[in-house]
Amino acid sequence: MKHLSDDELVDLYYGEPAGEPGGVGDRAELGGARQHIESCGYCRDAFAALKSDLDAVPAIESPARGEDYGQAIWQSIAPRLTRYEPRRFEWPRLSAGMRIGIGLGFAAACALLVAGGFFAGSLWQSKHPHQMAVQNPSPAAGSHTGAPAQPRVVVVVLSDHLDRSERFLVELKHADLDNSGSGTPLRDEARNLLAANQLCRKNVASDDDPALTTALDHLDRLLAEAASSPGRLNGAALARLQNEMNADGVLFEVRVLRSRSTDQGANGSDRPNGGTI
Amino acid sequence: MGRNDHDAIRAVLSGDKDAYGALITRHSQTLLRVAFRITGNEADAEDVVQEAFLSGYRKLAGFESKSSFGTWIYRIAVNCALDKVSGRKKHNEVRVAGHYDPGEEEIQIADGAAGPERLALSGEIGAMETMALRSLTATERTAFILRHMEGCTSVEIAAALGMDSNGAKQAVYRAVQKLRRRLAPLRVGV
Repeated sequence: MKHLSDDELVDLYYGEPAGEPGGVGDRAELGGARQHIESCGYCRDAFAALKSDLDAVPAIESPARGEDYGQAIWQSIAPRLTRYEPRRFEWPRLSAGMRIGIGLGFAAACALLVAGGFFAGSLWQSKHPHQMAVQNPSPAAGSHTGAPAQPRVVVVVLSDHLDRSERFLVELKHADLDNSGSGTPLRDEARNLLAANQLCRKNVASDDDPALTTALDHLDRLLAEAASSPGRLNGAALARLQNEMNADGVLFEVRVLRSRSTDQGANGSDRPNGGTI
Repeated sequence: MGRNDHDAIRAVLSGDKDAYGALITRHSQTLLRVAFRITGNEADAEDVVQEAFLSGYRKLAGFESKSSFGTWIYRIAVNCALDKVSGRKKHNEVRVAGHYDPGEEEIQIADGAAGPERLALSGEIGAMETMALRSLTATERTAFILRHMEGCTSVEIAAALGMDSNGAKQAVYRAVQKLRRRLAPLRVGV
């Protein structure tokens, strides 16, 4: 019969299986040791001696302390403790590659945003053409002449030119043929109007507007004759100009065009073309 | 209890230093008991308790919440107590161990002139037992105290002493053998 070793007896005393360090589940091994002790007088005596020795070792009792002992410990060490800083969120450290990637992504997002803005703007413009025309009127838009769009300043210049031309023609019509002094301002005005008229004619030459073209041609001849008269316009020259004016009906044509231009300007569309000064 | 410990730890780590006071109040008696049993000295035991809680506070950020704070601080206290008795060794000059084991630290105590027989005859049995206990190495004594008085398993002893379970068991075996040899004359006398 194999007897229990001293170590096995110690394990048996403390209730811990010898083959299982710290074992708490192998009770079968302990049970076997206990059964062996029951049947083996030698081991039983050895275990009794061990138990007697270990039972004689008293548990060391710690000194008694009151309920406030923990508080006293805390008071003694608290001044030596440094308060923990509350944990804060920290951005993760990024590698150079990740930083470049994030930068490129941000740039791409910005570019996409700008492109989207342009696209949305163009979409909105295509869906609201009338509002755009009112906000930014185009003289040729929907014009009965079908001419390309012209800047607003051209329309204004043509309208102004027709207005000035009408005043010139009215003065010419009512000029005092006996007073030779009235011819000088008419000649100067004719010279000024001639340059503007030639510009308007050049600008409307490509337009399909025969009324305007004809009127400007008639006006051009009249103005050229008045402007090219040597010296002062005398009574005879004024009479001749009046006759030409009446023959061509220039004053009537200019009045018609001017009224049409005024109406178109009020409507914001179908404006006649003019020249750029 | 454990849940309250974790709440207090979270509070401490969030900047509430006073929450640590609750942990100290809860575990100070246990630490004082084991510290006194290992050091055998009341003043040293109180020092060990303070050092353990100070060390625990400084290491609290590394504490893993899946374990028990009580077990964790208990191990710290055991190590502090071991350091204390190891440091005390340098101040004692008289070796009382029956033999010298260079692989282990010896507890050095003042033996005096009294032999076992005289102590037994004078009825100082308790003092003899205490002396026998103090004749163990620091590791053996701590392992035996944890096993015999604290009721720790080999796994718990191993964790507290930073060794494997088999080493902890061997330390207990050696402690028991030495104690029995020391107490044998007393048993015969009685």
